[in-house]
Amino acid sequence: MCMASRTKWRVLDMGRNNLRTVISFEVGRTLGKRKFWFITLLVPIAIGIVIALVSLGNSTVASTIDARSDANLTFTYSDTSGYVDPAVATALGGTIVTDDTAAIAAVKSGDEDAHFVYPADPAKTPTQVYGADKGLFGNGEYDGVATQVLSISAQDQIGDPALTALAQGNISVTTTTFTDGEETAGFMGIIPPLIFVVIFFLVFMLLSNQMLTSTLEEKENRVTEMILTTLNPTALISGKIISLFIVGFVQVLVFLVPVLVAYVFFRTSLNLPEIDLSSFTFDPMQMIVGALLALGGFALFTGTLVAIGAVMPTAKDAGSWFSALIVLMIVPLYALSLILSDPSNPVVQVFTYFPYSAPITAMLRNAFGSLAGWEAAIVITELFLLSAIVLQLAVRLFRYGSIEYTNKVSFKTVFSRPKAAGVGRR
Amino acid sequence: MDFAGTTVIEDLSFDVRRGETFGFLGSNGSGKTTTLRALLGIYLPTAGILHIDGRPFTPEAGSRLGYLPEERGLYKKESVLTVMTYFGQLKGLSKKAAVSWSMNYLERVGLGDKAKARVDKLSGGQQQKVQLGVTIMNDPELLILDEPTKGFDPVNRRLLMDIIGEKKRAGATVLMVTHQMEEVERLCDRVILLKDGRAEAYGTIPEVQNQYGGTMIRIGYSGEIPDSPYYDISVRDRNYAELTLTDTGTGSVDEALILRDLVDAGILVRSFTTSKLSLEEIFVSVYGEQNEMAGA
Repeated sequence: MCMASRTKWRVLDMGRNNLRTVISFEVGRTLGKRKFWFITLLVPIAIGIVIALVSLGNSTVASTIDARSDANLTFTYSDTSGYVDPAVATALGGTIVTDDTAAIAAVKSGDEDAHFVYPADPAKTPTQVYGADKGLFGNGEYDGVATQVLSISAQDQIGDPALTALAQGNISVTTTTFTDGEETAGFMGIIPPLIFVVIFFLVFMLLSNQMLTSTLEEKENRVTEMILTTLNPTALISGKIISLFIVGFVQVLVFLVPVLVAYVFFRTSLNLPEIDLSSFTFDPMQMIVGALLALGGFALFTGTLVAIGAVMPTAKDAGSWFSALIVLMIVPLYALSLILSDPSNPVVQVFTYFPYSAPITAMLRNAFGSLAGWEAAIVITELFLLSAIVLQLAVRLFRYGSIEYTNKVSFKTVFSRPKAAGVGRR
Repeated sequence: MDFAGTTVIEDLSFDVRRGETFGFLGSNGSGKTTTLRALLGIYLPTAGILHIDGRPFTPEAGSRLGYLPEERGLYKKESVLTVMTYFGQLKGLSKKAAVSWSMNYLERVGLGDKAKARVDKLSGGQQQKVQLGVTIMNDPELLILDEPTKGFDPVNRRLLMDIIGEKKRAGATVLMVTHQMEEVERLCDRVILLKDGRAEAYGTIPEVQNQYGGTMIRIGYSGEIPDSPYYDISVRDRNYAELTLTDTGTGSVDEALILRDLVDAGILVRSFTTSKLSLEEIFVSVYGEQNEMAGA
C-alpha cells in the first residue's frame, strides 16, 4: 500500500473513530444526567399516577356500587304513564303510592329510602327521583333503579329480546368502501401512519431545547477552539445530531413502556378498549412514507436548531428564533380541518411544500390518504436535501459563529470567506 | 487573511524549526491569535497554508499537535476525568490509555482528588491545569500555546514552564504567544514581532535586537551631547543619557568611535556602558508608538 493511500485510510479511520467518540460522549453525558431522566420520566410518572388514581377510583366505585346493590333498596313510586309493570317494580323493592307529597315527606323524614314519580310521557318529561342522601356514588343507585324499573317494564311489553335490542340501538355496522376498485382501509388504516405524527411531535418537543443548546454549549464554554483543532466540525455536528436521534429513541421507549404496561396489566380497571391489532391496516407504502417524513422532518429541524445555536451567543438570544420555528412547525394543526377536507386547497399546498410546515402537513395527509405518491416523493426529497444543506450551513456557521463568543455572526461574514486550499478544508 | 474586506494578516511567512521554541509576539490586536486560528484551520484563510514536516496540516491527519488557545474552556458540567478522556480519545488514544494518562497527570499537578469533580467546581488555576493536560496528552510534536501563563500564579507558572521544558527536551517544537518578555528571552530560540498583520522583526533574539533596536549606550557625563546621525538620544538628564544606535544603512557603528566623537566634542565622560536593547524595550518602542497614535 502506498504512503498516500495509508494516510487516506488513517484519516478515514480517525474520522470514524472521532464520530463514534462524539456520539458516545454526547449520548453518555445526556443519559447520565439526572435532569434528563427527571424530565423524561416526568410524563410517564404522571401517567402512572393518573392510572393508579383512576384504577383506585374505579375499584372504589365498583365496590361501593356492589355494596349498595347488595343492600335492599325500598322505594315508593307513582306512575301516570302506565308503562311501569307493578310486578317488576315490586320485584325491585317498589311500592306504588298515589300521594306524591306524602311519599316525598316520608323520604325527607327518613322513613322511606326513595320515591320515584313517573310522568305521563317518560320519553319527553324527566322522571322525578327523591332519595335519602347516600353520598356521591350511592345516590347514583336511585337513578339506576328508577331507569331499570321503566326499562325492564318496557322490554316485557315488547316481548321480543331482539326487538328490544334494536329499540335500544344495539346495532353493529361494518362498512366497506372502495377506491379504484381496491378496498380502502378506513379508520383502522389511518391510525398506524398517524403514529409518526405523534412520535415526531413528542420527540421534537422533548429534544428541541437540547438541539438548540447542543452547539451553544461549546460556545458558552469557550471550548470550540480546542474542538476544532482536534476534530472535523462536520463530525462534531453529525455526531451531535445522531446522538439526538439516539436520545430521542430512548425517550420514545421510556414513554411507550408505561403505556404498554397500562394497557397489558390495567386495561380492565382503566376501562380501556381492547385493541385488536389485526383490525389495523398497515399499508407498507404509507408506513414507509410516514417514517421517511418523520425522519426527514426531524433531521431538518435538528439541523436548523443546531445552526441557530451556532450563530447565537447565548440560549436567550436563540429563543426568538426557536419560537418562530415552533410556530412554523405546528401551524398546520390550526388548518387541520382544511387539510382533511380539502387537500388541494392552496393553503394546504403551501403548507405541504414549505419545508418547515411540510413534515406535519404531509404526515397528516399521508395518514388520511390524500398525499399522492409523487407529492410524497417531492416532500421527502425536499426535506432530506434541505437537511443536508442545513447541515453544511450549520457546520459553516459553527466554524465561524462558535468562536464569536459574544457576538452574533452575520451571514455576510460567513459567506464572504473563501475556501482555503488545504488548510481547514473539511 | 481578510475579514469583511479588511486585511488583517498580509504576506506573513515564517518557519518554525523542529525542536525549537518560537516566540510569536505582538501587541493586542496585532493579529497573533488570528494567525494561529488561520494556521490551524479554525478560520479559513484567504490564502496560505500550514505545513508540518512538509505536509498540509489537518487535525485528522494524525499530526500530533497540542493547541492551548487564548480563550480557555472545557465542558464545565462534566467531570474532569470525563473531559480529559473525551479529548484523549479524539486525539487518538484508547479510552483506557486516556484514563490512565489523565490520572497520572492529575496526580502530578496536584489534582488527583479532583478527577471526578465537575470542571466548574475547580478554581480558575485548576481549570488551566486541566486544560494544559488536555493540550499535551497526545504527546504532541508541535505545541502551540496562546498566552500559556495567563491566569497562573507564580508557582503554577513555574510548573507550567517545567512541563513545557520537558516537552521541549523530549523533542517537541513549541510556538508560544506571550506578552511576558522575560519568558521569551529565557525560553525562545527565535521570535517574530507582528505589527499590523506584518512581520516587524524576525529571527533569533540577538538578531532581532540587532535588527530592530541595536545597541544602547548609557553614559554618565558633563557637557552638552551633540546630535548625531549615528544615535538617537532616548534619555537625556543633566549628567546621564541613553543613546540608541541607529541603523544608517552603512553597516554597524563602532561604539568606540562614538566614545571618541563625544570626547572630541568636549564631553567629560565619567561612565560608558553598552548593552543590547531588551525585548521589552524593543516591544515598547515598536508598539508604544502605535498605542500613542491610537490614543491621539
